[in-house]
Amino acid sequence: MPGGQAVPMTSIDVQDLTKEYGTRRAVDHLSFSVLPGRVTGFLGPNGAGKSTTMRLVLGLDRPTSGTATIGGRAYAALEEPLRKVGALLDAGAAHGSRTARNHLRALAATNRIPERRVDEVLEETGLAPVARRRVKTYSLGMRQRLGIAAALLGDPPVVLLDEPSNGLDPEGIIWIRELLRRLAREGRTVLVSSHLMNETASFADQLVVLGRGRLLADMPMREFIDARVQPRVRVRGTDSRALGNLLAEHGIEAAEGEEGRWTALDARPEDIGRLTAAAGLTVLELAAEEGTLEQAYLDLTATETEFAAAPVQPQEA
Amino acid sequence: MSFAPALRAELIKIRTLRPLLWGLLAVLAATVAFSALAGLDDSADPDFDPLFSAFFGVSFGQIAAITFGAQAVSAEYQGGALRVSLAAVPGRGRWFLAKTVAIGAPALGIGLVTGVAGLVVGTSVLGSRADALTWAEELRGVVGCAVYLMLMALFAAGLAAVLRSGVATLSILIPFLLIVSFVVGNASGSVADFLPDKAGQTVLHETWDGALGPWSGLAVTALWTAAALGAGAWCVRRRDA
Repeated sequence: MPGGQAVPMTSIDVQDLTKEYGTRRAVDHLSFSVLPGRVTGFLGPNGAGKSTTMRLVLGLDRPTSGTATIGGRAYAALEEPLRKVGALLDAGAAHGSRTARNHLRALAATNRIPERRVDEVLEETGLAPVARRRVKTYSLGMRQRLGIAAALLGDPPVVLLDEPSNGLDPEGIIWIRELLRRLAREGRTVLVSSHLMNETASFADQLVVLGRGRLLADMPMREFIDARVQPRVRVRGTDSRALGNLLAEHGIEAAEGEEGRWTALDARPEDIGRLTAAAGLTVLELAAEEGTLEQAYLDLTATETEFAAAPVQPQEA
Repeated sequence: MSFAPALRAELIKIRTLRPLLWGLLAVLAATVAFSALAGLDDSADPDFDPLFSAFFGVSFGQIAAITFGAQAVSAEYQGGALRVSLAAVPGRGRWFLAKTVAIGAPALGIGLVTGVAGLVVGTSVLGSRADALTWAEELRGVVGCAVYLMLMALFAAGLAAVLRSGVATLSILIPFLLIVSFVVGNASGSVADFLPDKAGQTVLHETWDGALGPWSGLAVTALWTAAALGAGAWCVRRRDA
């Protein structure tokens, strides 16, 4: 029991973490927490430091400075760590000449995980029919599933997955989305890195965004999108001109699109619906256009690039 | 965390890789085959040593032994396997010790089988020329053969952990064993006596004339192996995985 502790027993806490490889700083004074009960999407372009951060959390790389802990303890200090933290880092980690089942058996033995769990996770990841085949015969998607099976082996309350949907087919992508949602619902701490926006948007509750090793954002996904992308309303009627005039009369900024469709900025569909009804206009289409994670992310990186480029940009007169 | 689960896992890893099992079998096959061939050569050599003739094949069997040791370690350096291993067993010293025992134990086992088989086949090919061997000398040969093959497998394992590559390890060790020892090795009574293979193989001879006896020779090989394993353990502990 946490017993009044501020830190939940299964949160991942990264504190002022820095990792340098030679002169290159892969992770730069990074601080954030990943809390249980939700899926945290770990975003950033390739090379932003997501994988490095995960390796640091798992005690595989040594930080230059700062700390990474799980439930307040360093990973290396955990007893039978696979029962507390499950991780997928590289899909190619299982030896090609070994069968999936034997790969998991050896892994289970390290943490005294009963062999029945091996068959359970093989079943859960859909690998049971091919479990006795050698891994070199597997497709990338099957190797990913094996990596996820390994992560789930110890039924851990904390799960870290690095780009788990790489190489998965469309069914696999839906499967991983539902798996992640379920793990969070069960109260686990789930950190999932990706560089694919639409996909992350489909499962994440919380976002941690990195850019060149630094923290760019750490907030609920909805908040992140709403803060960066103005909600818009799309409206189309039989009389496009009247509709435009109506919006203008009420001070709603709007742009006319194709086929007499108007896109109103900074408005709610409820308001526009009432206005058109009061004016007696026939509305054929009225829909809220919510901002996407991709738009929000691009807005963030655009401001970041601007910020980063500012010192070299010549001052305009 | 205790040592036994880590060791159990490493033993499973060795058992479940077919190339490693073939490597162990090759130790037996190469040693016995080349010992038998050596025994067939009955030209009168003044340096003829019946015990070493029976164990002559060890020079070839050891190639399979080092291949086994190097491969067992280098498998961890492919595709991020080491990260999975160390995430499961974060105590790196403990993990490397488990790996070492899991390589050493089967190598010693196959070494004993190889020793017995080599001796039986070797002496029966030699016929009356092996009659002078005492049972104590034969026992020393069998035990020495087993320990020597284990030490060579572990020597390669330690080196592979330093180099993080089986190919690099074998491309250093095999030329070393095949060329350096055969060429420099004949200059007996020199520094060459203290090379890991030369020193350890003294135990396979009925008579010796260098600075090292059978057990002191084996001890020198053990020191080489300990040094390689120590360097390997240091690298595993210090490096980012």
